[in-house]
Amino acid sequence: MNTRPSQQPPGHYELRIEGHLSEHWSTWFDGLTLTHADDGTTILRGPVTDQAQLHGLIARIRDLGATLLSVNVSDADS
Amino acid sequence: MVAPVVETKLLAPSLRREVVPRPRLADLLVRGAQGPLTLVSAPAGFGKTTLLASWFAAAPSTENDDHAVAWVSLDERDREATTFWSYVLLALDRAVPGSGAAALTLLQSGQTSVEAVLVGLVNELSVRSGEVTLVLDDYHLADGVEVASGMAFLVDHLPPQLHIVVGTRVDPALPLSRLRARGELVEVRANDLRFTPQEVSGYLNELNGLDLSPDDLAVLESRTEGWVAALQLAALSLRNRDDRTGFIAGFAGDDRFVVDYLVEEVLSQQPDDVRRFLLDTSILDRLTGPLCDAVSPQPESAGPRTGVRPGRARLEDLDRANLFLVALDDNRTWYRYHHLFGDVLRSHLIDERPDEVATLHRRAAGWHADAGHVDAAVRHAMAAGDTGQAADLVELSFRALGRERREDLLRQWAHQLTDDTLRNRPVLAVALIGGLMASNEFDGVDGRLDHVEHLLTMPTDEVVVVDRDELPRLPATITMYRAALALVGGDPAGAITLAAQAIAVAEDGDDLAVGSSAALSGLASWSAGDLEAARVSYGTAIGALTRAGHIADVLGCSIALADMELRLGHLRAAEQTFARALALAEENTSGLAVMRGTADMLVGLSRVAWYRNDLVGMAEHLRRSDELGESAALAQNPYRWRVGLARMRAAEGDLSSALKLLDEAERVYVADYAPNVQPIHATRARVLAARGDVAEAHAWAEDHLVSTDDVLSYLREYEHITLARVLLAEHAATGSSAALDEAVRLLDRLLAAAAGGGRTGSVIEVEVLRALAHNAAGARRESLGALQHAVQLARPEGWVRVFVDASPVACDLLRELATEQPRSGYLSELLHATTPVDGAREQTGDGRGARPGLVFGSDRWPVDMLSDREMEVLRLLGSDLDGPAIARGLFVSLNTVRTHTKHIYAKLGVNSRRAAVSKAHQLGLLSGPENR
Repeated sequence: MNTRPSQQPPGHYELRIEGHLSEHWSTWFDGLTLTHADDGTTILRGPVTDQAQLHGLIARIRDLGATLLSVNVSDADS
Repeated sequence: MVAPVVETKLLAPSLRREVVPRPRLADLLVRGAQGPLTLVSAPAGFGKTTLLASWFAAAPSTENDDHAVAWVSLDERDREATTFWSYVLLALDRAVPGSGAAALTLLQSGQTSVEAVLVGLVNELSVRSGEVTLVLDDYHLADGVEVASGMAFLVDHLPPQLHIVVGTRVDPALPLSRLRARGELVEVRANDLRFTPQEVSGYLNELNGLDLSPDDLAVLESRTEGWVAALQLAALSLRNRDDRTGFIAGFAGDDRFVVDYLVEEVLSQQPDDVRRFLLDTSILDRLTGPLCDAVSPQPESAGPRTGVRPGRARLEDLDRANLFLVALDDNRTWYRYHHLFGDVLRSHLIDERPDEVATLHRRAAGWHADAGHVDAAVRHAMAAGDTGQAADLVELSFRALGRERREDLLRQWAHQLTDDTLRNRPVLAVALIGGLMASNEFDGVDGRLDHVEHLLTMPTDEVVVVDRDELPRLPATITMYRAALALVGGDPAGAITLAAQAIAVAEDGDDLAVGSSAALSGLASWSAGDLEAARVSYGTAIGALTRAGHIADVLGCSIALADMELRLGHLRAAEQTFARALALAEENTSGLAVMRGTADMLVGLSRVAWYRNDLVGMAEHLRRSDELGESAALAQNPYRWRVGLARMRAAEGDLSSALKLLDEAERVYVADYAPNVQPIHATRARVLAARGDVAEAHAWAEDHLVSTDDVLSYLREYEHITLARVLLAEHAATGSSAALDEAVRLLDRLLAAAAGGGRTGSVIEVEVLRALAHNAAGARRESLGALQHAVQLARPEGWVRVFVDASPVACDLLRELATEQPRSGYLSELLHATTPVDGAREQTGDGRGARPGLVFGSDRWPVDMLSDREMEVLRLLGSDLDGPAIARGLFVSLNTVRTHTKHIYAKLGVNSRRAAVSKAHQLGLLSGPENR
């Protein structure tokens, strides 16, 4: 895992969820891009302004009853 | 109108008819409901609410009051501690009448901490025989720093009678590991909630009649992992299908998120109009027919079904078809979407028709606005991004919200509406400032006021004002808020100046600005000790606030005004002030809910009766006040009532009861903004002096730094007169001439100060005491002179009690006075009142049987109806001990205490500790020296 300094610039994040989420969720998740991986998981990827927004996204995954597998910081444009 | 309580939040959701029995979980909950905390913690769609509601429905009836259940469905708005605890206390009080009312009054007064409120609740519940389970559903929506600290406190101090069941998607911020280690936590988690293969079969085959093969069932169980939400959707998808095995195989072989796959299936089976209805109305927190009609109007082509409200019919259809709805009440008038499906529907809506979302919210806002649900209307308007509409709604409703004491909503909006919205809306900005200040939030208010004043200098076409009539009122309101800021900031002189300015610039008919400014000015003058100015200001305030319809404030101001009138000697005026306020409160009482503050006016009248020595009238007022209950009283009434009854007991000669009542009064004391000019401790010292407890009374003076050398001022006058009484008592007990000299010197100074301040009420009391002092010193002439002066001042208003308290010396002096002048009716009355009747007014310290004045209606209580043991428990109910501590003190089990409490409540006809103790005091059950 990445140990980031407390000063958080807007970063890109990757959230991996079990199951293939339908495309229509993209808007729901603040416009993050939604990719279906071959292993049956979904990756939500995109810019996240700050920790508050990140936690908001995680709460929405929770409210869907979907299983969150991992959260990672990713490089932009990857 | 603003609904203070969303009733459906206090009802367990109405159960569907078909529910799979889940005995293993029911057993867990039954076990849990015997322990302190049960946690039902699992993600969305695991059937938490259904489980809790079915357990709730099966819970033993409350008839035998063995085990009551209180239910609260929480939402995001309950993250605010006062809102959260209001619902909790209301729910508990409905489940167990009397258990939460006192705590609720205290909470809503906003003058004490949540912990203090909860201590009262715990002490009340801890002596009760019945158990109560509090269900907090969707706790994750309310969990936050504000709520968590109070919850942690409650869990730490949980009485054995109270059990808490929490339904949540997230483990709450409570000391779970500690509870777990102690075996005090029962947990029902996702793995427990998953449907077992047997339950899957029961649900799909038996309840839904699908007749699936064991193989198909196994596939579904494994694909859904026993997730109830998914199984429910699967059942819906399978209902109208011939090739069920094929469908199940397709579902199993697909990687899609279970809910997506199945909702897609279910939605695709719905006719277009149903699908549209579902998506349209997914933006609503709560659904009801007419609201749905407004948000999702039936297309023209469908043709209106005559006589049928289409929205209502649609909801009933969906309910019957088991499509996503949860009924919120037994009449099935209000529904909500199942949280998970609501989210799925909303995500479809914003994906498919992003442009329409705002329109839907706007329609919902319009319907709620018409229905008078300002809160919901504003929420939808904001969700529509239509801050203009939200701002309009707030602007149009803020006066009504102020009248109904819902400033908390204005405060909330003050933080939600952006500076940009407020940039050019002066009326709105002032409305929100009012909300902030009423919630004791003063940070940044100064800057906000500056901004509004700047707006008022701009051309009118550059500012937005919905109600033009409000605009001319702003200058007065702004200046009034500045006066309030000055007062809060410790500048009473500045506050008085600004309040006068506010009144001067107020529009004709702007009664609220005039009334509020006058009340502020009155409070500032009062705090500064300028009684006469304060009295005039409060008089103005009461008139204006009455015209403005702010009755709750009128009652508060009336208590302050009467207090001053009494000190100034205007006994009749004080009586009128209380009587008028009482009449006003009664006019404004609708139905069963007696206006809060009514009970306080009766206590005020009892005080007037006491000064007149009308102990029968006094008892009657106190009894009526008590019967109205906590919900009719302000937070200060419990202590004022006890002080009132203590005075009555002292007047009857039962000084030990009086002391006990004053100790209780200290325990239930709640401060407010008014200066505390008659502190309970001083009243207690007066009783000590009357009893001859000179040492203890002197200790009081030392503890509270009351000395004869102090600079005298109105604010501490009551304490200094008390000190004079203590010194006279010392002389009477020891013959100390030093004490007598000190008393005379202090009284002479007090007389000059009171006369100089026009405080005739105080002058009368001081003169009576001077008469006693001079008499003790053998100066008969000076003594008679002082008493004659007192009589002369007291006659026009009918003061009596102050002379009775000075008997038998006063009686002797009055007789002599009567020989020197023509006998008046008043003098005869005084003579009669001060003459001991057959020893009945002897101050024996034991009031029992020595109470000629005591009449509490017709319900004098045969004391022997309570057993000795019950009497002991009753005495301890008046303390601040909780149930276990009472049990330890009496060397009995907690169960015994609970049984006794139950019998005591039943015999006294009350439903709470406070009510039991106050009733007992009224009936004289707690009198007598054996209790000291």
